[in-house]
Amino acid sequence: VTAEASAQITELAMDDHACLTFGEEEERLDLTAAFVRDGLASGLKVLWLSDAAPQLAADELARRGVEARAAAGSGQMIAAGTGGRLLTGQEFRADGAVGWLARQAEASRQEGFCGLRVAVDMGWALRPVTGIEELPRFEEGIAGVLGGGTASVLCQYDRGRFDPVTLASVAGFHTCSVAAATYYADPVLRVCRQYAPPGIRIAGEIDYQAAEPLGLALSEAVRLDGGIVINMAGLGFADAPCTAMIADAARTMTAAGRAVVLRCQPGVAAGFTRLGLADGPGIRLVIAGDR
Amino acid sequence: VTGDRSQGGGRQGPLGSTQTPAPLEQDFDSGSLYALRSAVAAHAAAAGADREQVYDVMAAVHELAANAVRHGAGHGRLRLWAADGVLTCQVSDGGSAEAGPDRAGPPWPSEHGHGLWVIGQVADQLDIDHGPDGTTATAIFALRIPH
Repeated sequence: VTAEASAQITELAMDDHACLTFGEEEERLDLTAAFVRDGLASGLKVLWLSDAAPQLAADELARRGVEARAAAGSGQMIAAGTGGRLLTGQEFRADGAVGWLARQAEASRQEGFCGLRVAVDMGWALRPVTGIEELPRFEEGIAGVLGGGTASVLCQYDRGRFDPVTLASVAGFHTCSVAAATYYADPVLRVCRQYAPPGIRIAGEIDYQAAEPLGLALSEAVRLDGGIVINMAGLGFADAPCTAMIADAARTMTAAGRAVVLRCQPGVAAGFTRLGLADGPGIRLVIAGDR
Repeated sequence: VTGDRSQGGGRQGPLGSTQTPAPLEQDFDSGSLYALRSAVAAHAAAAGADREQVYDVMAAVHELAANAVRHGAGHGRLRLWAADGVLTCQVSDGGSAEAGPDRAGPPWPSEHGHGLWVIGQVADQLDIDHGPDGTTATAIFALRIPH
Protein backbone atom coordinates (compact mmCIF):
# COMPACT_ATOMS: atom_id res chain seq x y z
CA VAL A 1 0.00 0.00 0.00
CA THR A 2 1.37 3.33 -1.06
CA ALA A 3 1.23 6.34 1.16
CA GLU A 4 -1.29 8.88 -0.01
CA ALA A 5 -0.16 12.35 -0.93
CA SER A 6 -1.90 15.25 -2.52
CA ALA A 7 -0.88 16.35 -5.99
CA GLN A 8 -2.02 18.91 -8.50
CA ILE A 9 -3.56 17.48 -11.65
CA THR A 10 -0.83 19.18 -13.68
CA GLU A 11 1.96 17.47 -11.70
CA LEU A 12 1.12 13.80 -12.29
CA ALA A 13 4.04 11.52 -13.18
CA MET A 14 4.15 8.80 -15.84
CA ASP A 15 3.47 5.93 -13.45
CA ASP A 16 0.98 7.64 -11.14
CA HIS A 17 -2.25 5.94 -10.21
CA ALA A 18 -4.12 8.99 -9.00
CA CYS A 19 -7.39 9.14 -7.11
CA LEU A 20 -9.46 12.15 -8.07
CA THR A 21 -12.29 12.90 -5.67
CA PHE A 22 -14.69 15.50 -6.95
CA GLY A 23 -17.65 17.30 -5.43
CA GLU A 24 -19.38 18.43 -8.60
CA GLU A 25 -19.45 17.55 -12.28
CA GLU A 26 -17.83 20.84 -13.28
CA GLU A 27 -14.80 20.00 -11.13
CA ARG A 28 -14.47 16.49 -12.60
CA LEU A 29 -14.67 17.76 -16.18
CA ASP A 30 -12.23 20.60 -15.52
CA LEU A 31 -9.61 18.30 -13.99
CA THR A 32 -10.16 15.64 -16.65
CA ALA A 33 -9.74 18.23 -19.42
CA ALA A 34 -6.40 19.30 -17.90
CA PHE A 35 -5.33 15.63 -17.64
CA VAL A 36 -6.24 15.03 -21.31
CA ARG A 37 -4.69 18.30 -22.49
CA ASP A 38 -1.34 17.68 -20.79
CA GLY A 39 -1.30 14.05 -21.98
CA LEU A 40 -1.90 15.00 -25.61
CA ALA A 41 0.70 17.77 -25.39
CA SER A 42 3.26 15.22 -24.11
CA GLY A 43 2.57 12.91 -27.03
CA LEU A 44 0.84 10.26 -24.92
CA LYS A 45 -2.12 8.21 -25.98
CA VAL A 46 -5.14 9.24 -23.92
CA LEU A 47 -8.19 7.13 -23.02
CA TRP A 48 -11.19 8.62 -21.26
CA LEU A 49 -13.71 6.10 -20.00
CA SER A 50 -17.02 7.46 -18.79
CA ASP A 51 -20.73 6.90 -19.14
CA ALA A 52 -21.08 10.03 -21.26
CA ALA A 53 -21.37 9.67 -25.02
CA PRO A 54 -18.04 10.18 -26.84
CA GLN A 55 -19.42 13.26 -28.62
CA LEU A 56 -20.33 14.80 -25.27
CA ALA A 57 -16.77 14.23 -24.03
CA ALA A 58 -15.40 15.96 -27.13
CA ASP A 59 -17.77 18.89 -26.63
CA GLU A 60 -16.79 19.25 -22.97
CA LEU A 61 -13.11 19.27 -23.93
CA ALA A 62 -13.69 21.85 -26.67
CA ARG A 63 -15.65 24.04 -24.26
CA ARG A 64 -12.54 24.05 -22.06
CA GLY A 65 -10.16 24.97 -24.84
CA VAL A 66 -8.84 21.41 -25.40
CA GLU A 67 -9.02 20.63 -29.10
CA ALA A 68 -9.14 16.83 -29.12
CA ARG A 69 -10.91 16.22 -32.42
CA ALA A 70 -7.70 15.94 -34.43
CA ALA A 71 -6.24 13.64 -31.76
CA ALA A 72 -9.42 11.54 -31.89
CA GLY A 73 -9.11 11.32 -35.68
CA SER A 74 -5.50 10.11 -35.49
CA GLY A 75 -6.20 7.58 -32.74
CA GLN A 76 -4.22 9.45 -30.07
CA MET A 77 -7.36 10.17 -28.06
CA ILE A 78 -10.24 7.78 -27.41
CA ALA A 79 -13.33 8.68 -25.40
CA ALA A 80 -15.49 5.65 -24.75
CA GLY A 81 -17.96 4.05 -22.38
CA THR A 82 -17.05 1.46 -19.75
CA GLY A 83 -19.16 -1.29 -21.31
CA GLY A 84 -17.05 -3.89 -23.15
CA ARG A 85 -13.92 -2.45 -21.54
CA LEU A 86 -14.05 -2.46 -17.74
CA LEU A 87 -17.43 -4.16 -17.70
CA THR A 88 -19.00 -7.01 -19.58
CA GLY A 89 -22.67 -6.17 -19.64
CA GLN A 90 -23.50 -5.51 -16.00
CA GLU A 91 -20.71 -7.72 -14.76
CA PHE A 92 -17.38 -6.61 -13.33
CA ARG A 93 -14.34 -8.81 -12.95
CA ALA A 94 -11.16 -7.24 -11.55
CA ASP A 95 -8.86 -9.54 -13.52
CA GLY A 96 -10.68 -8.85 -16.75
CA ALA A 97 -10.57 -5.07 -16.23
CA VAL A 98 -6.88 -5.06 -15.28
CA GLY A 99 -6.15 -7.28 -18.28
CA TRP A 100 -7.97 -4.84 -20.57
CA LEU A 101 -5.87 -1.97 -19.17
CA ALA A 102 -2.64 -3.95 -19.69
CA ARG A 103 -3.61 -4.61 -23.32
CA GLN A 104 -4.24 -0.88 -23.85
CA ALA A 105 -0.78 -0.03 -22.46
CA GLU A 106 0.80 -2.61 -24.76
CA ALA A 107 -1.20 -1.41 -27.76
CA SER A 108 -0.19 2.21 -27.19
CA ARG A 109 3.47 1.14 -27.24
CA GLN A 110 2.98 -0.77 -30.48
CA GLU A 111 1.25 2.24 -32.00
CA GLY A 112 4.39 4.23 -31.30
CA PHE A 113 3.17 6.41 -28.43
CA CYS A 114 5.65 7.10 -25.65
CA GLY A 115 3.04 6.31 -23.03
CA LEU A 116 -0.62 6.04 -22.05
CA ARG A 117 -2.95 8.11 -19.88
CA VAL A 118 -6.28 6.70 -18.76
CA ALA A 119 -9.03 8.67 -17.04
CA VAL A 120 -11.78 6.50 -15.59
CA ASP A 121 -15.05 7.87 -14.27
CA MET A 122 -15.90 5.36 -11.53
CA GLY A 123 -19.59 6.29 -11.60
CA TRP A 124 -20.37 2.84 -13.06
CA ALA A 125 -19.48 1.36 -9.65
CA LEU A 126 -22.53 3.08 -8.17
CA ARG A 127 -24.85 1.05 -10.38
CA PRO A 128 -26.04 -2.44 -9.44
CA VAL A 129 -23.13 -4.27 -11.04
CA THR A 130 -22.28 -7.91 -10.37
CA GLY A 131 -18.82 -8.35 -8.88
CA ILE A 132 -18.55 -4.86 -7.47
CA GLU A 133 -16.89 -6.34 -4.38
CA GLU A 134 -13.82 -6.85 -6.60
CA LEU A 135 -13.36 -3.07 -6.92
CA PRO A 136 -10.48 -2.87 -4.37
CA ARG A 137 -8.75 -5.79 -6.14
CA PHE A 138 -9.02 -3.89 -9.44
CA GLU A 139 -7.49 -0.78 -7.90
CA GLU A 140 -4.72 -2.90 -6.39
CA GLY A 141 -4.04 -4.64 -9.71
CA ILE A 142 -3.52 -1.38 -11.58
CA ALA A 143 -0.08 -1.04 -9.95
CA GLY A 144 1.08 -4.06 -11.98
CA VAL A 145 0.01 -2.43 -15.24
CA LEU A 146 1.84 0.79 -14.38
CA GLY A 147 5.07 -0.98 -13.42
CA GLY A 148 6.72 -0.16 -16.72
CA GLY A 149 6.60 3.54 -16.00
CA THR A 150 4.87 4.49 -19.23
CA ALA A 151 1.25 4.57 -18.14
CA SER A 152 -0.77 6.56 -15.62
CA VAL A 153 -4.37 6.18 -14.48
CA LEU A 154 -6.73 8.75 -13.01
CA CYS A 155 -9.66 7.18 -11.15
CA GLN A 156 -12.52 9.60 -10.55
CA TYR A 157 -14.74 9.18 -7.51
CA ASP A 158 -17.71 11.37 -6.65
CA ARG A 159 -17.11 12.08 -2.96
CA GLY A 160 -20.76 12.91 -2.42
CA ARG A 161 -22.08 9.63 -3.84
CA PHE A 162 -19.50 7.03 -2.86
CA ASP A 163 -19.73 5.98 0.76
CA PRO A 164 -16.69 6.65 2.97
CA VAL A 165 -16.07 2.92 3.50
CA THR A 166 -15.70 2.28 -0.23
CA LEU A 167 -13.52 5.37 -0.68
CA ALA A 168 -11.31 4.28 2.21
CA SER A 169 -11.03 0.74 0.83
CA VAL A 170 -9.63 1.96 -2.49
CA ALA A 171 -7.73 5.11 -1.43
CA GLY A 172 -4.63 3.23 -0.26
CA PHE A 173 -4.04 1.63 -3.67
CA HIS A 174 -3.50 5.01 -5.31
CA THR A 175 -0.12 6.73 -5.43
CA CYS A 176 -1.62 10.16 -4.84
CA SER A 177 -4.88 12.00 -4.43
CA VAL A 178 -5.98 14.83 -6.67
CA ALA A 179 -8.59 17.52 -6.13
CA ALA A 180 -9.06 21.08 -7.32
CA ALA A 181 -7.12 23.58 -5.18
CA THR A 182 -9.89 25.15 -3.14
CA TYR A 183 -9.70 28.61 -1.59
CA TYR A 184 -13.10 28.55 0.00
CA ALA A 185 -16.01 26.14 0.20
CA ASP A 186 -19.24 26.20 2.16
CA PRO A 187 -22.80 25.36 1.16
CA VAL A 188 -23.29 28.82 -0.39
CA LEU A 189 -19.95 29.54 -2.05
CA ARG A 190 -17.07 27.72 -3.68
CA VAL A 191 -13.88 29.41 -4.89
CA CYS A 192 -11.34 27.10 -6.53
CA ARG A 193 -8.64 26.89 -9.17
CA GLN A 194 -9.67 26.06 -12.69
CA TYR A 195 -7.21 24.02 -14.72
CA ALA A 196 -8.65 23.96 -18.24
CA PRO A 197 -8.59 26.72 -19.25
CA PRO A 198 -6.37 28.10 -16.46
CA GLY A 199 -7.93 30.52 -14.02
CA ILE A 200 -10.34 30.41 -11.12
CA ARG A 201 -13.92 29.29 -10.72
CA ILE A 202 -16.38 30.99 -8.40
CA ALA A 203 -19.76 29.33 -7.88
CA GLY A 204 -22.71 30.04 -5.61
CA GLU A 205 -23.02 33.55 -4.15
CA ILE A 206 -20.19 35.80 -3.02
CA ASP A 207 -20.10 38.88 -0.82
CA TYR A 208 -17.60 40.90 1.22
CA GLN A 209 -17.35 38.18 3.85
CA ALA A 210 -15.38 36.08 1.35
CA ALA A 211 -13.11 38.94 0.28
CA GLU A 212 -10.05 37.26 1.79
CA PRO A 213 -10.22 33.90 -0.07
CA LEU A 214 -11.28 35.75 -3.22
CA GLY A 215 -8.23 38.01 -2.90
CA LEU A 216 -5.99 34.95 -2.47
CA ALA A 217 -7.52 33.23 -5.50
CA LEU A 218 -7.11 36.36 -7.63
CA SER A 219 -3.52 36.83 -6.47
CA GLU A 220 -2.68 33.26 -7.48
CA ALA A 221 -4.42 33.71 -10.83
CA VAL A 222 -2.24 36.74 -11.45
CA ARG A 223 0.82 34.55 -10.89
CA LEU A 224 -0.26 31.95 -13.48
CA ASP A 225 1.16 32.28 -16.99
CA GLY A 226 -0.74 33.59 -19.96
CA GLY A 227 -4.43 34.36 -20.32
CA ILE A 228 -6.86 33.81 -17.48
CA VAL A 229 -10.50 32.74 -17.32
CA ILE A 230 -12.52 33.77 -14.31
CA ASN A 231 -15.36 31.30 -14.58
CA MET A 232 -18.44 32.62 -12.80
CA ALA A 233 -20.99 30.66 -14.85
CA GLY A 234 -22.29 29.16 -11.62
CA LEU A 235 -22.23 32.39 -9.64
CA GLY A 236 -25.70 33.72 -8.88
CA PHE A 237 -24.65 36.86 -7.00
CA ALA A 238 -21.59 39.05 -6.50
CA ASP A 239 -21.77 42.11 -4.26
CA ALA A 240 -20.19 45.48 -5.04
CA PRO A 241 -16.88 44.98 -3.18
CA CYS A 242 -16.23 41.55 -4.74
CA THR A 243 -17.22 42.80 -8.21
CA ALA A 244 -14.76 45.67 -7.77
CA MET A 245 -12.00 43.28 -6.58
CA ILE A 246 -12.43 41.03 -9.62
CA ALA A 247 -12.53 44.08 -11.91
CA ASP A 248 -9.32 45.44 -10.37
CA ALA A 249 -7.57 42.08 -10.77
CA ALA A 250 -8.72 41.86 -14.40
CA ARG A 251 -7.39 45.35 -15.10
CA THR A 252 -4.07 44.51 -13.43
CA MET A 253 -3.67 41.50 -15.69
CA THR A 254 -4.67 43.24 -18.91
CA ALA A 255 -2.32 46.09 -18.07
CA ALA A 256 0.43 43.44 -18.13
CA GLY A 257 -0.69 42.40 -21.60
CA ARG A 258 -2.63 39.31 -20.55
CA ALA A 259 -6.05 38.39 -21.89
CA VAL A 260 -8.83 37.98 -19.34
CA VAL A 261 -12.17 36.27 -19.90
CA LEU A 262 -14.96 36.93 -17.42
CA ARG A 263 -17.62 34.27 -17.87
CA CYS A 264 -20.77 35.14 -15.94
CA GLN A 265 -24.55 35.25 -15.74
CA PRO A 266 -26.37 38.42 -16.83
CA GLY A 267 -26.86 39.92 -13.34
CA VAL A 268 -23.20 39.56 -12.37
CA ALA A 269 -22.14 40.69 -15.85
CA ALA A 270 -24.12 43.92 -15.43
CA GLY A 271 -21.94 44.74 -12.42
CA PHE A 272 -18.80 44.50 -14.56
CA THR A 273 -20.41 46.50 -17.35
CA ARG A 274 -21.24 49.29 -14.89
CA LEU A 275 -17.53 49.42 -14.01
CA GLY A 276 -16.68 49.85 -17.69
CA LEU A 277 -15.16 46.41 -18.14
CA ALA A 278 -17.28 45.29 -21.09
CA ASP A 279 -15.29 47.34 -23.56
CA GLY A 280 -11.89 47.28 -21.87
CA PRO A 281 -8.91 46.22 -23.99
CA GLY A 282 -7.93 42.60 -23.42
CA ILE A 283 -11.06 41.83 -21.39
CA ARG A 284 -13.81 39.65 -22.78
CA LEU A 285 -17.12 39.52 -20.94
CA VAL A 286 -18.92 36.31 -21.89
CA ILE A 287 -22.50 35.79 -20.81
CA ALA A 288 -22.96 32.21 -19.69
CA GLY A 289 -26.19 30.40 -20.39
CA ASP A 290 -28.40 29.30 -17.56
CA ARG A 291 -26.99 26.42 -15.63
CA VAL B 1 -38.86 41.99 19.85
CA THR B 2 -38.56 44.90 17.49
CA GLY B 3 -41.44 47.32 17.79
CA ASP B 4 -43.66 47.84 14.79
CA ARG B 5 -43.15 51.43 13.78
CA SER B 6 -46.22 51.33 11.59
CA GLN B 7 -44.31 52.41 8.55
CA GLY B 8 -44.54 50.66 5.24
CA GLY B 9 -47.95 51.36 3.77
CA GLY B 10 -48.60 47.86 2.51
CA ARG B 11 -48.82 46.53 6.01
CA GLN B 12 -51.73 48.60 7.25
CA GLY B 13 -54.19 48.24 4.45
CA PRO B 14 -56.70 45.43 4.31
CA LEU B 15 -55.28 42.46 2.44
CA GLY B 16 -57.35 43.94 -0.37
CA SER B 17 -55.75 43.82 -3.78
CA THR B 18 -55.15 40.19 -4.65
CA GLN B 19 -52.31 41.27 -6.98
CA THR B 20 -50.14 42.65 -4.20
CA PRO B 21 -48.02 40.07 -2.42
CA ALA B 22 -47.71 40.31 1.36
CA PRO B 23 -44.98 42.67 2.51
CA LEU B 24 -41.71 41.14 3.60
CA GLU B 25 -40.26 41.94 7.00
CA GLN B 26 -37.03 40.25 7.90
CA ASP B 27 -34.30 40.83 10.45
CA PHE B 28 -30.73 40.23 9.35
CA ASP B 29 -27.15 40.13 10.52
CA SER B 30 -23.89 39.07 8.91
CA GLY B 31 -24.86 35.42 9.04
CA SER B 32 -28.23 35.80 7.34
CA LEU B 33 -27.50 38.00 4.31
CA TYR B 34 -27.81 34.96 2.05
CA ALA B 35 -31.29 34.19 3.39
CA LEU B 36 -32.20 37.86 3.05
CA ARG B 37 -31.15 37.95 -0.62
CA SER B 38 -33.09 34.78 -1.30
CA ALA B 39 -36.26 36.17 0.30
CA VAL B 40 -35.93 39.50 -1.51
CA ALA B 41 -35.50 37.81 -4.89
CA ALA B 42 -38.58 35.68 -4.28
CA HIS B 43 -40.68 38.70 -3.24
CA ALA B 44 -39.48 40.90 -6.10
CA ALA B 45 -40.35 38.15 -8.56
CA ALA B 46 -43.75 37.65 -6.95
CA ALA B 47 -44.37 41.40 -7.22
CA GLY B 48 -43.90 41.06 -10.97
CA ALA B 49 -40.38 42.41 -11.53
CA ASP B 50 -38.61 41.05 -14.60
CA ARG B 51 -35.52 38.91 -14.21
CA GLU B 52 -33.00 41.70 -14.52
CA GLN B 53 -34.86 43.85 -12.01
CA VAL B 54 -35.16 40.97 -9.55
CA TYR B 55 -31.36 40.85 -9.52
CA ASP B 56 -31.08 44.64 -9.16
CA VAL B 57 -33.50 44.72 -6.21
CA MET B 58 -31.69 41.84 -4.53
CA ALA B 59 -28.31 43.51 -5.08
CA ALA B 60 -29.54 46.87 -3.76
CA VAL B 61 -31.05 45.38 -0.61
CA HIS B 62 -27.88 43.39 -0.03
CA GLU B 63 -25.71 46.53 -0.23
CA LEU B 64 -27.98 48.42 2.17
CA ALA B 65 -28.06 45.50 4.59
CA ALA B 66 -24.29 44.98 4.32
CA ASN B 67 -23.83 48.66 5.17
CA ALA B 68 -25.97 48.24 8.28
CA VAL B 69 -23.97 45.16 9.28
CA ARG B 70 -20.54 46.60 8.59
CA HIS B 71 -20.93 50.27 9.48
CA GLY B 72 -24.04 50.30 11.65
CA ALA B 73 -25.25 48.20 14.53
CA GLY B 74 -24.15 44.91 13.00
CA HIS B 75 -27.74 43.91 12.33
CA GLY B 76 -30.94 45.43 11.03
CA ARG B 77 -34.37 44.93 9.57
CA LEU B 78 -35.71 44.98 6.03
CA ARG B 79 -39.24 45.93 5.05
CA LEU B 80 -40.15 45.42 1.43
CA TRP B 81 -43.53 46.01 -0.13
CA ALA B 82 -45.12 46.56 -3.51
CA ALA B 83 -47.93 49.01 -4.21
CA ASP B 84 -49.13 50.80 -7.33
CA GLY B 85 -46.37 49.42 -9.53
CA VAL B 86 -43.64 50.52 -7.14
CA LEU B 87 -41.43 48.31 -5.03
CA THR B 88 -40.11 49.91 -1.85
CA CYS B 89 -37.18 48.47 0.11
CA GLN B 90 -36.52 49.99 3.51
CA VAL B 91 -33.50 48.97 5.54
CA SER B 92 -33.02 50.27 9.08
CA ASP B 93 -29.98 49.49 11.16
CA GLY B 94 -31.76 49.81 14.49
CA GLY B 95 -29.28 52.30 15.96
CA SER B 96 -25.54 52.46 15.70
CA ALA B 97 -24.49 52.47 19.34
CA GLU B 98 -21.44 50.47 18.48
CA ALA B 99 -19.91 50.16 15.08
CA GLY B 100 -19.42 46.69 13.71
CA PRO B 101 -15.91 45.30 13.90
CA ASP B 102 -13.86 46.66 11.06
CA ARG B 103 -12.57 43.86 8.89
CA ALA B 104 -9.06 43.70 7.60
CA GLY B 105 -8.91 45.28 4.19
CA PRO B 106 -9.05 42.87 1.26
CA PRO B 107 -5.83 42.39 -0.72
CA TRP B 108 -7.46 44.03 -3.74
CA PRO B 109 -8.67 47.53 -2.93
CA SER B 110 -12.30 48.34 -3.59
CA GLU B 111 -13.71 51.80 -3.81
CA HIS B 112 -15.26 53.10 -0.64
CA GLY B 113 -18.96 53.67 -1.03
CA HIS B 114 -19.13 51.52 -4.13
CA GLY B 115 -22.20 49.75 -2.75
CA LEU B 116 -24.23 52.96 -2.52
CA TRP B 117 -23.05 53.95 -5.97
CA VAL B 118 -24.39 50.68 -7.37
CA ILE B 119 -27.76 51.26 -5.71
CA GLY B 120 -27.87 54.73 -7.23
CA GLN B 121 -27.34 53.12 -10.63
CA VAL B 122 -30.08 50.51 -10.38
CA ALA B 123 -32.78 52.08 -8.17
CA ASP B 124 -35.13 54.85 -9.27
CA GLN B 125 -34.74 56.64 -5.96
CA LEU B 126 -32.59 56.30 -2.87
CA ASP B 127 -33.18 58.19 0.39
CA ILE B 128 -31.01 57.89 3.45
CA ASP B 129 -32.32 59.24 6.71
CA HIS B 130 -29.99 59.51 9.70
CA GLY B 131 -32.18 59.79 12.78
CA PRO B 132 -31.66 59.43 16.53
CA ASP B 133 -32.84 55.83 16.25
CA GLY B 134 -30.27 54.98 13.62
CA THR B 135 -30.17 55.09 9.85
CA THR B 136 -33.01 54.18 7.56
CA ALA B 137 -32.30 53.79 3.85
CA THR B 138 -35.12 53.52 1.34
CA ALA B 139 -34.63 52.35 -2.23
CA ILE B 140 -37.54 52.61 -4.65
CA PHE B 141 -38.00 50.69 -7.88
CA ALA B 142 -40.64 51.34 -10.53
CA LEU B 143 -41.63 47.78 -11.40
CA ARG B 144 -40.82 46.63 -14.89
CA ILE B 145 -43.35 43.94 -15.59
CA PRO B 146 -42.04 41.31 -18.04
CA HIS B 147 -44.07 40.98 -21.22
